Amino acid sequence: MSDAPLTRSRKVCFVTIGATASFSALVRATISSTFCHSLEQHQYTDLIVQYGADGHGLFQSLLQDVNSQQEATGINVSGFGLDTNGLEQYMMLAKTGGDSSGAEGLVVSHAGSGTILHALRLDVPIVVVPNSELLDNHQIELAEALAEQEYVVHGRLENLSQALQDAEKLRVRQKAWPPVNSGTHRQTRGLAGVVDEEMGFSVE
Amino acid sequence: MALLNAPVLAVLATFALFALQLITLRLLSLAPQRRPPPTPRQLGTPAHLLIVLGSGGHTAEMISMLRRSNTCSKFSHRTWLVSSGDSFSAAFAKEFEQEMGEKKGTYRVVEVRRARKIHQSLLSSPWTCLLCLWDCLRWLRPSSDRHYGYPDLVITNGPATATILVFASVLLRFLGLQGSDGAGEMRTIYVESWARVKRLSLSGRLLCWLVDRVLVQWEQLQGAGAGGRAEFKGVLV
Repeated sequence: MSDAPLTRSRKVCFVTIGATASFSALVRATISSTFCHSLEQHQYTDLIVQYGADGHGLFQSLLQDVNSQQEATGINVSGFGLDTNGLEQYMMLAKTGGDSSGAEGLVVSHAGSGTILHALRLDVPIVVVPNSELLDNHQIELAEALAEQEYVVHGRLENLSQALQDAEKLRVRQKAWPPVNSGTHRQTRGLAGVVDEEMGFSVE
Repeated sequence: MALLNAPVLAVLATFALFALQLITLRLLSLAPQRRPPPTPRQLGTPAHLLIVLGSGGHTAEMISMLRRSNTCSKFSHRTWLVSSGDSFSAAFAKEFEQEMGEKKGTYRVVEVRRARKIHQSLLSSPWTCLLCLWDCLRWLRPSSDRHYGYPDLVITNGPATATILVFASVLLRFLGLQGSDGAGEMRTIYVESWARVKRLSLSGRLLCWLVDRVLVQWEQLQGAGAGGRAEFKGVLV
């Protein structure tokens, strides 16, 4: 697709489905003209999709569909299956847009705890979409609990445009991770404390 | 049939009862609630930590916790246990060690065969679990050059492979195999995944019976599991 005009700073939406299970519904929902138009409305320039080991065919056909739409969007869509170097560089792209003139973008993720943690650490807004194709889906719990505490946006496949809007609100009042322990747990030393106790290390 | 006359039966029964008693007592003595408190030791003395990297989110959470708690450097030896073919976790372990610097003791990354692959049929999983158990026993035992003894502490956060590793450590202790003089006791800490908000995972529920400490990361899970042993010490990841 065409390059973004120079006046627009780069703003990246990075979509990841994780390395373990496939999540074609999320790939379908994001590489769609509806979603690309919503991205455009929110001044995004790039959409990068990590589609999993077996997602290449799907990605190609979706990309063709999006490109053949009458009303082409200015969103630059790209993708890859897996990256053995990890997702660090893509998360950073979403955070910074790639250079000093870039704008902070967004991560859209399956509800894997590793990815969520990564995004919280980088302090980049994240939309969490639980994978309904999985059997024992406790991921929904995590998404709901974190959304309730306003750390993430709980996205739904049917309405990702809404999630994009919510993410803009989240950006404004982003909270820092890890949370400060409060109340009765203020004194706790977490894992280090338990390790010391179990090892009989004396605490000075 | 002559073997089964009354006196022989009586003797056999007595032995069987005796053995049963011994096994029961032995099992009871292994229960986490009955374990003696840890032997006090000086920081800086040799200590061996075994960390299970369970793949995917489990690995990410484990690395994050270890980084935050800054606790690995208290151990002179570290064994990172990964499932076969999990190159991501092995790479994470090496990266973590490089960050710590080499003066912080020695480490090794070892592999066990996977207890159960995603989508593996339930019928074949007892066999693969057994293979996994075999590998776990091997890595818990002292290395042939004696550089790595029995671990002093095991930290895991699931999934299936980690459960089998803890089971292997209990089996060794049942047979009386562990370090001596307070070392190599294989004390165990299980940390429930951050993704478990309302209910313990299957690994968590099973391991409540076996591990020394159960940590949860959401306050509402405090006191969950067998004997209400789950402890909430704040978010750990």
